[in-house]
Amino acid sequence: MAEPRGPNAAHAGMFPNLRRDVAFPIVGVGLLFGVFVAVGLLYQNSFGGAGERLVTTAMINAIIVLGIQIYVGNTGVLSFGHIGFGAIAGYTFAIFAIAPAEKIKRIPDAPLGLTDVDMGSWGAVGVAIAVTVVVAVFVGIGLARSGAESGAVAATVITLALLFVTHEVARHWPELTGGERAGLSFRIGGKLDTRVPIYLALAGALVLARLFAQSRRGRLAKAGREDDLAARAMGVNPMVQQMIALLTSVAVVSVGASLKVYETGSLLPEDFFFFFTLLTLTMLIVGGRNSVTGALFGVAVITVGRELARRMGQDGFEVFGLGLDSEPLDWIFRENLQTVFLGVAMLGFMIWRPKGLLSDWEFDDWLYRRFTRTQSAPPVPQATMSDESEARLEVSDVSVVFGGFQALSQSGFEVSSGEVVGIIGPNGAGKTTMLNVITGLVPATSGQVRLNGKELIGTPSHEVARAGLVRTFQNLRLFGSLTVRENVEVTRLVAIAEHDDRSTPETDVLVAAAGLWDHRDRRASELDYGNSRRLELARAAAARPLFLLLDEPTSGMSDTESLAMVEQVQTMAALVGAGVVVIDHDLDFIIGICDRIYCLDRGSVIASGTPEEIQADPAVQAAYLGSSAS
Amino acid sequence: MTELLQNLIDGLGRGSIYALLALGVAVIFGVMHLLNFAHGELITVSGYVAFWTISEGWSWYLVTPVIIGTAIVTSLVIERVAFSRVRGSSDFTLLLTSFGVHFVVSAIFLLYVSASVKTFSEPGWVANTFPVGSLNIEVYDAVVIGVTLVTLLATSWLIQRTMFGLALRAAAADFDTARLMGVRSDTVIRGAFALSGLLAGIAGVFWLMRSGHTTPTVGITPMLKGVLAALIGGLGSLRGAVLGGFVLGLAEVLLRSRLPDSVASLTEGFVFLLIALLFIFRPQGLIRVAHAERV
Repeated sequence: MAEPRGPNAAHAGMFPNLRRDVAFPIVGVGLLFGVFVAVGLLYQNSFGGAGERLVTTAMINAIIVLGIQIYVGNTGVLSFGHIGFGAIAGYTFAIFAIAPAEKIKRIPDAPLGLTDVDMGSWGAVGVAIAVTVVVAVFVGIGLARSGAESGAVAATVITLALLFVTHEVARHWPELTGGERAGLSFRIGGKLDTRVPIYLALAGALVLARLFAQSRRGRLAKAGREDDLAARAMGVNPMVQQMIALLTSVAVVSVGASLKVYETGSLLPEDFFFFFTLLTLTMLIVGGRNSVTGALFGVAVITVGRELARRMGQDGFEVFGLGLDSEPLDWIFRENLQTVFLGVAMLGFMIWRPKGLLSDWEFDDWLYRRFTRTQSAPPVPQATMSDESEARLEVSDVSVVFGGFQALSQSGFEVSSGEVVGIIGPNGAGKTTMLNVITGLVPATSGQVRLNGKELIGTPSHEVARAGLVRTFQNLRLFGSLTVRENVEVTRLVAIAEHDDRSTPETDVLVAAAGLWDHRDRRASELDYGNSRRLELARAAAARPLFLLLDEPTSGMSDTESLAMVEQVQTMAALVGAGVVVIDHDLDFIIGICDRIYCLDRGSVIASGTPEEIQADPAVQAAYLGSSAS
Repeated sequence: MTELLQNLIDGLGRGSIYALLALGVAVIFGVMHLLNFAHGELITVSGYVAFWTISEGWSWYLVTPVIIGTAIVTSLVIERVAFSRVRGSSDFTLLLTSFGVHFVVSAIFLLYVSASVKTFSEPGWVANTFPVGSLNIEVYDAVVIGVTLVTLLATSWLIQRTMFGLALRAAAADFDTARLMGVRSDTVIRGAFALSGLLAGIAGVFWLMRSGHTTPTVGITPMLKGVLAALIGGLGSLRGAVLGGFVLGLAEVLLRSRLPDSVASLTEGFVFLLIALLFIFRPQGLIRVAHAERV
């Protein structure tokens, strides 16, 4: 079908909606940057030299925290390793930037003749980014192999191990790093004499972090963050998105680490280890890890809090002007109060507000909602699409054995475009297992699944989805903290990339067709049961599949809701031109919607035919209707 | 040959301590899905108790039960104060909570004691050796291996043969179902923390006997070893954790003795590299645990 690309072609690029995803974020972070810098300048004007140093440090920390946010916020994988990447970048930068005359004092015998290398600061930043990104590629492969998914524990330990490896190497390879005590240092006065590079890097980090989150890649990564398995079932491959997020994030951290080293003028292994990890992670967590605004806010809050703690440690209570003599409490206010403050802040937030102060609130998103007139009437679904391509799904002789339990034996069914086929059967008959086999979530012991003649057994889940088989989940696996619209949009992005030759209905049309128009900007996790099921349907349909596979779409619904669901499934299937395979207990629903029905019992197909034939079949009555009718 | 045997015995001695630590990590992971980065704090606290009691002139025979008791109590207190409040939270929250606990505990010692190293005398027999054929076996290693074997057997009995063990295994397999079947979640979780504390206490006694010092951050290394060993074995598998501990101990000793002197100080780095390779080829660890996810 050689249809012109039409309006969708523009959407297939990096950003789904230029106004919302590029223009507003840039304006938004511009304002944030302005406020952050203005507050910093005000502070340093009131406190002088010490204040100046505090503000510079806060800005560099902000760059590093934003870098970490790009990975942690979008993928949901907790990384302790970003400061390890920072160490790699910091040492690379120092080794390439420090003048040979200076280097010869600390590392006269550096390997590879690095003692004599003199690249200047700008070149050294470039090398630092390159080296760190190369290391990150290998770490990323390890993370992917370990099954990194949102909150994956193994992935976190790998990142922690990275932090330790870099620390060990820095301590025990003095020929390269200057070792544990001496370290590396620039000549006195090698500090930054202007803040321009810091301003540039901070602004760049803000823009990059925000644009990444809004980009197609970022949205797909966030789907994986919310539910790895559901994202795969919608055709997203979270591994690819995670790798891109990791490399972007590590590049930003490298710039921040180089600036930190340059600003400090020296480098010791302890500078990029546990304490700095705690500091940056606390900043990220306190502000809100899923939000760029939150990350920046967290840097400000923690910097102020630490500074207060430090002063209290020095001066006792006089800071508050309470006139209390610090003497009796002196033992508590030592310099280490800062560490206690950070640890307690992290612990407190994890216990009482794990999503941070701002959760996933974004300043520019708020601006966008304020300054964009909302459409009040739901869009009318366009005329039913006639799908010219004839598709056929053939499932034959599928057997699945779990341990000693035969979940499916030699079962199968067939369905063509335009058809609605139902699979019924008592609990434990193997219905959901059948869908799991088709969508690549459960390996079949034997059998074939052919889509238009192409074998799909052994194909990874996300490729099955892209081939045209997209499912819903009986136990509801929505992308909880994304809005209704965003849930639909994510899958639609996959569909557009996959078939830009076929027009895919607009997000709003799909949302309206599912009866969710009034809830379009609510989070999926806030929806009730019925609406969640309808969103599952709309999200799957947005992938523009050849066949929609619905796993108990009416379970838990009232009779009226079930009846409405018949119509919604039919509208949705017609809208995207998909055939439907539906599993359900609800016989009225199945009979109301299906052209043909297969009945499963204890893993085998015991009957198939039109709804009338199935209702009359004695075997079905014995296995299913008999037991449920009593 | 002699050298290899010697390495094996050294490795088993080291691995025994790691196995005890890893088992403690795995027990808690089983019931709470929490990878406990604060596990090493049990040793930090024990270290200060050892320092205070030994400076009072107590003998190691008296100090040992005190250390073990301290570890158990500390484990229960940490559970009560922090982990009980985040039960059932996301893995992300659980991981950061344990990370936070680690920092608060070490910062408390920084504040109230000091950052300086506190040393105490080791028991006299730690450095003694006795010959077996051509081998020179340290009394310490022999004691460690012996006590660890007894501890592991006792733990295995506890887990396989008692009601508490049954509840623990049920909770590890499926916490919600276990609760529906009448397992009390408080009891089983506190029991798991007590058991984890007991194992860490025994490991801590050995660790401190050998090192003879403590600092606010002394717990980081044992924590890391325990967590890595549990991961090498396959998170969630108790047998895997013990196996992982021995594998890690042997790998360290063998690498250290085989690497050329110029890079021997980087042994830890090489061990991490090996672990990374293990994960690339066997992401689930040595012993696979089925994580059935209902879809």
